[in-house]
Amino acid sequence: MNQLQVILLLWIIAVTSFGHSIDSYIKQKPPHDKRISDAEFLRRTFIVITGRLPQPTFAESFLKSENPSKRAQLIDSLLASEGCNAMLTMRWGDMLRIKSEFPSKLWPNGVQAYNRWLHEHIAENTPYHQMVRELLLSQGSNFRQPAVNFYRAFPKRTPAIIYNNINLLFLGSRSTRGDGSTCFAQLNYKNTKEWKEEIVFIDTHVPIFNSSIRINDSTNIKLNAGTDWRIPYVNWLTNNNTQFAAVMANRIWYWIMGKGIVDEPDDWRDDNPPSNESLLNALTTHFIKNGYNVKALMREILNSDIYQSAAGTPGGFVSQRLLAEVVVDAIADITGISDQYISRVPEPFTFYPLGTPAIELGDATVSSPVLELFGRASRDISFENQHNIQLTAQQLLYLMNSSELENKIRQSPVLNGLCKTYKNQVQLLQQITLLTLSRMPTAKEREIYKTYANLNKQSLRNFATDIVWTQINSIEFLYNH
Amino acid sequence: MILGHYINSKGLAVLALISSMSVQAQTAKSVILIYLDGGPAQTDTFDPKPDAGRDYFGLYKDAIETNVPGTFIGAKLPLLASIADKYTLIRSMTHGINAHESAHYAMITGDLSGGPVVYPSFGAVINFEKQHSYSGILPPYISLTSANSRFNEGGFLGNNYKSFDTGGSPEKGKFEVEGIINTWVKPQKLADRMALLDQINSCSPVKADSAIQLLFDNYHRKNMNFITGDAKNIFDLSTESKAMRDKYGMNRLGQSCLVARKLVQAGVPFVNVRTTGWDTHKMHFQRMNEMLPELDRALWALLTDLDEKGLLDSTIVLCGGEFGRTPKVLWEAPWNGGRSHFGKAFSYLVAGGGLMPGKILGRTDATGEEILDRKVYPCDLIGTVYTLMGIDPNGTLPHPSEGTLPLLPSLGKKDQSNGLLYELINTQKSTEK
Repeated sequence: MNQLQVILLLWIIAVTSFGHSIDSYIKQKPPHDKRISDAEFLRRTFIVITGRLPQPTFAESFLKSENPSKRAQLIDSLLASEGCNAMLTMRWGDMLRIKSEFPSKLWPNGVQAYNRWLHEHIAENTPYHQMVRELLLSQGSNFRQPAVNFYRAFPKRTPAIIYNNINLLFLGSRSTRGDGSTCFAQLNYKNTKEWKEEIVFIDTHVPIFNSSIRINDSTNIKLNAGTDWRIPYVNWLTNNNTQFAAVMANRIWYWIMGKGIVDEPDDWRDDNPPSNESLLNALTTHFIKNGYNVKALMREILNSDIYQSAAGTPGGFVSQRLLAEVVVDAIADITGISDQYISRVPEPFTFYPLGTPAIELGDATVSSPVLELFGRASRDISFENQHNIQLTAQQLLYLMNSSELENKIRQSPVLNGLCKTYKNQVQLLQQITLLTLSRMPTAKEREIYKTYANLNKQSLRNFATDIVWTQINSIEFLYNH
Repeated sequence: MILGHYINSKGLAVLALISSMSVQAQTAKSVILIYLDGGPAQTDTFDPKPDAGRDYFGLYKDAIETNVPGTFIGAKLPLLASIADKYTLIRSMTHGINAHESAHYAMITGDLSGGPVVYPSFGAVINFEKQHSYSGILPPYISLTSANSRFNEGGFLGNNYKSFDTGGSPEKGKFEVEGIINTWVKPQKLADRMALLDQINSCSPVKADSAIQLLFDNYHRKNMNFITGDAKNIFDLSTESKAMRDKYGMNRLGQSCLVARKLVQAGVPFVNVRTTGWDTHKMHFQRMNEMLPELDRALWALLTDLDEKGLLDSTIVLCGGEFGRTPKVLWEAPWNGGRSHFGKAFSYLVAGGGLMPGKILGRTDATGEEILDRKVYPCDLIGTVYTLMGIDPNGTLPHPSEGTLPLLPSLGKKDQSNGLLYELINTQKSTEK
């Protein structure tokens, strides 16, 4: 694309998108009665943005509030929250396969530095193209220049494998086009005297065989001897590259809605076209126009009518099983009893502070049987579908009849506290429902639980255990709707 | 085989043997892997070096002769010494990796190719391969009490083929298998709760997708059958006599081995008994003094019990870790008599399922630091297990995006494989059957 074409394209995009919100691109406008309730909005949005449930007191006051702009305000405060940064850091960590050991072998110091680097950029909301530039043009020590861990997270560090991964991550392509791998042929690695420190550097003495590199069918870039060949590639990738922006815009849509406009979000092919091209173009334009601002695009999507419509609305939110980390953290938040996470690399083992949420582990080498059971991202590959959200009988078996979970509910200090404060069944049911499902119990539910309590004479505390067991086992709990 | 005799090239000869073995009839129905997580010291167990000097044998000067004349094992394993005619020792295992995760990956996938693809563990592969033919009530691949999660053992096959972790403590009064046996919740209580849940699910203000609703109903029904059915009896150790429980040893490893036998009796194709604590950089001999007698008893009990019940011929038993430990003792601080990781030469005990017993395969030098003959790489052992389980080691697996990939990418490759263990396959016996 020459400069004139770029200007023309940007102009067309600017004119066509002016004044429209995302909703005008939705083919079938969602009927008003599909608009979700405040309670549904609250839970859905907390889980989408932060991967956590709201505090019950917060849920109660949000539901009571009559402020007409409370949804927009909640979106803004959640996007600015630490919870959002933690969730996005985890999503990036999954894509970049951050792991101490096999197969990424970043080692704990590298993992920590890399996570901190990501977290800083996410908290500052660094423009996406700048963050990718910094990532791909990094060199230096894995401890001191954390972005270089990008080039270390490969069991086999060949230019072709690295280039394939860049194609997948930033251009959404599972197959590699062009000869761009040459741009990464100068990467080299050396150890230092510090344990597990590694320097990633550019060896400019690598001989040049072909100075003109075909990136795709219409683009060639020129490499000069003695310079870093990644620079012309990264310039091409991140400067006015619509595909680059569209892939991320679509990924953000996928993170929020549960289904990409191009789906899967890392499988862009000619024979896998977007389900709604004008919507994709509008999102891409919004993303570019706002300086590759990730959180601004999230805000735009979250405020749309289509996001705030019932799950299953055409083109809208897709109901899905909670991510493994979200299930585990929700159980920890509800019961007040967290799992102890241990890093076995290196010896002696490192114990994470008790109460560390699973979404903040930052290292797929650190795990637990329950996280594995619910299909936590392995970080072996960079595909979004590595999060296995498929429901299995074994997962329900765990929720139904695990002694571990039963003990957590029975011993829960949170439930002990509630039973002390709320002495009658009605109040207790309301508090527990706010805790686990972030809403008030319905009249029908009150009746069902009342009948159950009358049939099963037991202490209030045991009744609390049964309510929590039932709610944790409900479809409503295990899915984001 | 005939082709093999006429071709000098070792690689081709190996290939000829591999192809002749792939027609081998299935002799084994189940595999029990006793996994000594952390890496056991081969020189203190299955490959003693009593003549190597104190810098090598450390505090374990003695080796004892087994009931197979001329075969010696570590003196801390007297019970195993009495039944050496029931197992074979591989003293030439090698992969050369000294880091836990990578060694563990190599040892339980057989993959030394270093490619970008993460392979499934051989337990997951057997789970995958047997999913249609296995019809038992228990999951086909079970770990006592939890699998090693240092890498994602489902590999590219995905989560569904990972092991079912029992959790719980079989050495305690009641073995509480996660999800199956829950002493806190009586059957009536669970039934009451399930009835309550049904009502709650059907009146939820959030309308669930009908497909999800159906899935929940199906899984709940399946799980209730599972919880209330015979599955719990298989894990119930109170059905075993006290003498039997004592025979295995009243500790985690011993009772896990007893459960493993019960699982194999119930037809489970793959049981992983994982025992930790073998990573003895420090206090090595003190810890071995405690751990080796437990291992000796548990493994002896398992092998004799399987044999007495007529299950040994159809059950492959493997015992070893992700690597061995340095033959030379690290006397200096901070180790003060420890042993470090050693992937160059280590041992595995193998038995049953059609493997010839009473043999020694491979040999290390006087100090145990070099292999002198018959290197055995992980894929050679795993490929042999596949063969005995009726799975073609030269077969393929479906990858979600890469088409089909070889089941064992390292098999037949130089420095990653040295041929299947045809020396241990009793072809005579299998043709008789």
